[in-house]
Amino acid sequence: MNVTVVDYGAGNIRSVENILDHAGADALVTGAPDEIAAAERIILPGVGAAGSALAVLRTQGLDQALQSARARGTPILGICLGLQLLADEIEEFGSHEGFGWFDGHVGPIENVAGTGIRSPHIGWTRIDPVEGPASTFFGRNEKSNYFYFCHSNCLVTDRVAIAATADIGGGNDAEIVAAIQKDNVVAVQFHPEKSQLNGLRLIETFLDWTP
Amino acid sequence: MPANRLIPSLLLREGRLVKGRAFAEHRDAGNPATTARAHNAQGADEIIVLDIDASRDRRPPDLDTVAVVAAETQIPLTVGGGVDSVDMARACLGAGADKICLTSTARQRPELISEIARLCGRQAVVLGIDIETGADGSRKLYDHRTGSADGATDWRHWLAEGVTRGAGEIRLMAVDREGTRTGFDTALFHDARAYVNVPIILEGGAGTLDQLTDAMEAGVDSLALGTMLVFSDNNIVKLKRVLANAGQPMRP
Repeated sequence: MNVTVVDYGAGNIRSVENILDHAGADALVTGAPDEIAAAERIILPGVGAAGSALAVLRTQGLDQALQSARARGTPILGICLGLQLLADEIEEFGSHEGFGWFDGHVGPIENVAGTGIRSPHIGWTRIDPVEGPASTFFGRNEKSNYFYFCHSNCLVTDRVAIAATADIGGGNDAEIVAAIQKDNVVAVQFHPEKSQLNGLRLIETFLDWTP
Repeated sequence: MPANRLIPSLLLREGRLVKGRAFAEHRDAGNPATTARAHNAQGADEIIVLDIDASRDRRPPDLDTVAVVAAETQIPLTVGGGVDSVDMARACLGAGADKICLTSTARQRPELISEIARLCGRQAVVLGIDIETGADGSRKLYDHRTGSADGATDWRHWLAEGVTRGAGEIRLMAVDREGTRTGFDTALFHDARAYVNVPIILEGGAGTLDQLTDAMEAGVDSLALGTMLVFSDNNIVKLKRVLANAGQPMRP
């Protein structure tokens, strides 16, 4: 199984390669639009700031390549910033237009959870899967649903696309979006590549996924 | 709510792990890859690797070792030591680090914090704050480059400035407790907590299981451990079990 990992100069690509190796898949790390457009399966990783990431993706034509892969039905997994970039709009060091694949906007965690919330949200938080087509990506018990999060911003979107939420605490027990899914695109706010066995199982599910 | 965290803190020197006491008297503490693999297997929540000579020698951290540690673990990896440019931060991330810890280099040039935050996001920037507490209880920033306390800067102002500039997490080290097994300085943690709202990892002084429970009961959610995991028969599995049994929210 070949998995194309989108390289746009930001993010911890090495960890994604490592987890794919553990899952028995071959990672093809590339920033070439034609390779991405023709990929069998795609991971859009991401650590970094949205503005500079979007600028690189657009300058190199990777947004168009991803869009054509999406239109062909290629399974795509977005991770962390790779989830946030799929929204309509991202607010971080200014406002940026995202891919618009998911309705909604990305903004500071404080906007959802209130100013009392600890931000960034860093650590292992248990997610609550929403029953639906993406349920298979997550575990069936409490232990198997702990994932590692490391982010300052989160997505606010319509409930239809939400595949999992996470209670990040604070005064009003705020829930953030932990995963979204629509057609052949699934994206997670946490880092499966840094979530030990739970993350490995999610990656294996993605490798088998027929949306 | 994120679970409480236990984070092994590994000190790197010439490709080997070392452990010291109050930032001196370093002894050999094993092979980095084997040690990291063991911590990963035992359920450590993250790992911190600090190259302790890099900053003084004005060179990047040992990226070969970082890459090996990253390949052996599937938990977050924070790397520090001598990172003094955006390119060097990027090289660390490229080698498999998730977060960069800045201590001396940020003191030297505070703009570095915002430069790295802008490129990598503030969640990837950990600011190291090393505190020396005097016999009279006064707290001062400890300066690695001179090996002495910096009396001219109020550490809380530097802490707040670092977060304003873009640090997304704090590694708060009680220098005088390092390697002493005298327990965590929870008052230091709460002093810092009153100034910033980002996650804070407290380090320095871990020696017994009771001290870990006491620190968490005092409200410290993230603890870094050095000596306690190195020169003893303690391991993360045992520590997490004890903490969970004491009612602390640990990741199963």
